[in-house]
Amino acid sequence: MDFQLSFLLSADVLPLLFKGMATTVRLFACAWVLGMLVALLLVGLRAVPWRWLDWLVAVFVEYHRNVPTVVQIMVWYFGMPEILPRDIKLWINRGDTEFLFAMIALALNASAFFAEDIRSGMRTVPHTQLEAARSIGLSAFGALWHVILPQALRISVPPLINRALILFKDTSLAMAIGVVEMTYQTKAIENLTFRSMEVFVAATLFYLVASLVLMALGAWFNQRFPPAHKG
Amino acid sequence: MAKRGISILSAGKLLGLLLAGSTLSSLAHAEALDDIKARGTLICGTQNASAPYAFQDPASRTFVGYDVDMCKALAKSLGVKLEHRPLSTEARIPELKMGRVDLVAGSMAYLPERAEQVDFSLQYLQGAIKVMVKKDSGIKTLADLAGRKVCASKGSSSAAIAARVLPKAQVLTFQDVASCYLGLQSDKVEGFTAGELALKCFEIDSQGKGNPVMMVPEPTYVEHMGIVTNKNNPKLIAAINEAILQMDKSGELSATFEKWLGEQSIYKLKRTFKVEPVDKAS
Amino acid sequence: MLDILHEYGLMFLVGTWPVGPLGGFANTLVLAGLGLGLGLSFPLAMLLALARTGSIRWLKMLATVWVYTFRGIPLVMVVFWAYFLLPVMIDTTVPAFATALAAIVVYESAFLAEIVRAGLDGLPKGQMEAARSIGLSYAQAMKSVILPQALLNIIPSLVSQFVSTIKATSIVYIIGVQEITFSAQQINSIEMTRALSVFLVLAAFYFVACLELSQFARWLEARIRARQLRPA
Repeated sequence: MDFQLSFLLSADVLPLLFKGMATTVRLFACAWVLGMLVALLLVGLRAVPWRWLDWLVAVFVEYHRNVPTVVQIMVWYFGMPEILPRDIKLWINRGDTEFLFAMIALALNASAFFAEDIRSGMRTVPHTQLEAARSIGLSAFGALWHVILPQALRISVPPLINRALILFKDTSLAMAIGVVEMTYQTKAIENLTFRSMEVFVAATLFYLVASLVLMALGAWFNQRFPPAHKG
Repeated sequence: MAKRGISILSAGKLLGLLLAGSTLSSLAHAEALDDIKARGTLICGTQNASAPYAFQDPASRTFVGYDVDMCKALAKSLGVKLEHRPLSTEARIPELKMGRVDLVAGSMAYLPERAEQVDFSLQYLQGAIKVMVKKDSGIKTLADLAGRKVCASKGSSSAAIAARVLPKAQVLTFQDVASCYLGLQSDKVEGFTAGELALKCFEIDSQGKGNPVMMVPEPTYVEHMGIVTNKNNPKLIAAINEAILQMDKSGELSATFEKWLGEQSIYKLKRTFKVEPVDKAS
Repeated sequence: MLDILHEYGLMFLVGTWPVGPLGGFANTLVLAGLGLGLGLSFPLAMLLALARTGSIRWLKMLATVWVYTFRGIPLVMVVFWAYFLLPVMIDTTVPAFATALAAIVVYESAFLAEIVRAGLDGLPKGQMEAARSIGLSYAQAMKSVILPQALLNIIPSLVSQFVSTIKATSIVYIIGVQEITFSAQQINSIEMTRALSVFLVLAAFYFVACLELSQFARWLEARIRARQLRPA
């Protein structure tokens, strides 16, 4: 077998790989930030003592957890523009809609998982904390924001890193709607050149190295902001 | 146990090359045809979900198709038993290079870059990329498409080819073939380019509905498909070529074509290809 | 959608079985079930988490490398390399199903281990100290004081990960193991024009399986809590 990693460095291939990597990283970063914001919103909504709101958030979470992610991406890409007025639809379709809808779908998907992880973390914060915070005059929201969440987030770091890693790798699902990210590029190069082992080595290394960076960031965060009672 | 010795050797080599990124000369260095004869079995790979080439028949739930029949014919011609292996797109080439299948009849088109990695047999099938239009559009040839909108599915080879072959048309890329079809029916585009077999499915689907469609007869591109083996197996390639030529002569190749792609199938295609070298085929 | 189910129902449910190997939804459930419970990924994760939080240096290192590596590689690549490199390295053939299952167990154990670790870290240090000071051994303290609390706290994250595992089984098709996504691909290739319906049927199967699991977890959690609150 003729196995040459140097093939990956050739002028025909390397720029394609870099382009794919850049799109993957961009897609991940946008989806993570949006997903985290939505997750915090969801956690806040769950703290509001309205039953129907709690139920609505639960439905949101169940949909995003239980339906295959690739289907969620397709629902956004095919479904959403259809329900909009024609002019807006045409305007949207002119832009980079694949990236946009993949990003939204991945972000919402991740937000459901983020929210559950933060909720897990909140359960480890003793209930007396909330009572204490309320007794010194903080509002329910204030107690959540200033007292409970900062502690819960620190405790939730390992599962949140898990989820960030899964989100990072899930960006490859955007391939289904034609986003030219890393996995799309590797498959295209493989299909053209039949150098399967080489391109799969490249894909494995890329995802591994990028994931290690994410994990290192998580470990650093965990050390810098340890769970309160460990300090 | 010579085989065992080889694989230990290759394990070391494989690890070495993964670490060092060096070149490995040849994993399957013995002539594959001798292995097949000694084993008494031909391990023949095909695709695993690609109607009508190799797919699971919903009724019998076994793998059937044009390529599966090619495997059967090759085994018969070599005088050995057949072991059929349906392969995923990702695994088809690694399986071949690791020597776990002897050859792949995967309706794979010849490309010069691909031929650096594997050897192609004589052409045993052709695939055309065509353009579909509405019947009442008045478009009869590819030239009529000048200035019109043509849809191709994103990232497909059809899109790249359309841009090259139809420079005067405006090529739009939609998500997938189904969206292109939707676009054609709702007059967002006037042409829709894809592989002939996919187009045929939509053409059949449109029969009896309000908006019948048809294909422009002229293809934008023709793919030449060969059976694929590891490099440097001249005896195996010669044996495969001999078998294909024999099938062509006896009418078996045409009969197989009729069964899966021709009159007996939903596609109703006519066999136009000749058995000839893939890189020189017309 | 119903006509798709009517025509291809068996293919969705069992793949090629009984003519060929079991596939379809049945094999998805088998892979997920074995992968999560009997298949050792959760017990393995517990051991990894204990090693990561424990004080034995080399065990800690080993567990850390495991957790970092297998979380970093896409499952599809873990399966791919296991399938192509493992037999060459150990010089014996491994059936594709076993390879797929082993890859899922190894991959999921790394993620589950981090969730369990978060649960362990989340408990106040005093819990362990108190348990040890009343004379419990490390193992006893873990078993009857720390783990019951930690595991209960992390149920939402565990359920999320279990649900992800069910969906993750879909990639084993690349080494020829058949399950429900593979069935859907077959049907798509035959029914070129009905891709959307096929996808919706596929999504419905996953939704039902995953929702059932979430519901079960919720029921289990409520039960455990009720038992804890009951006066002894």
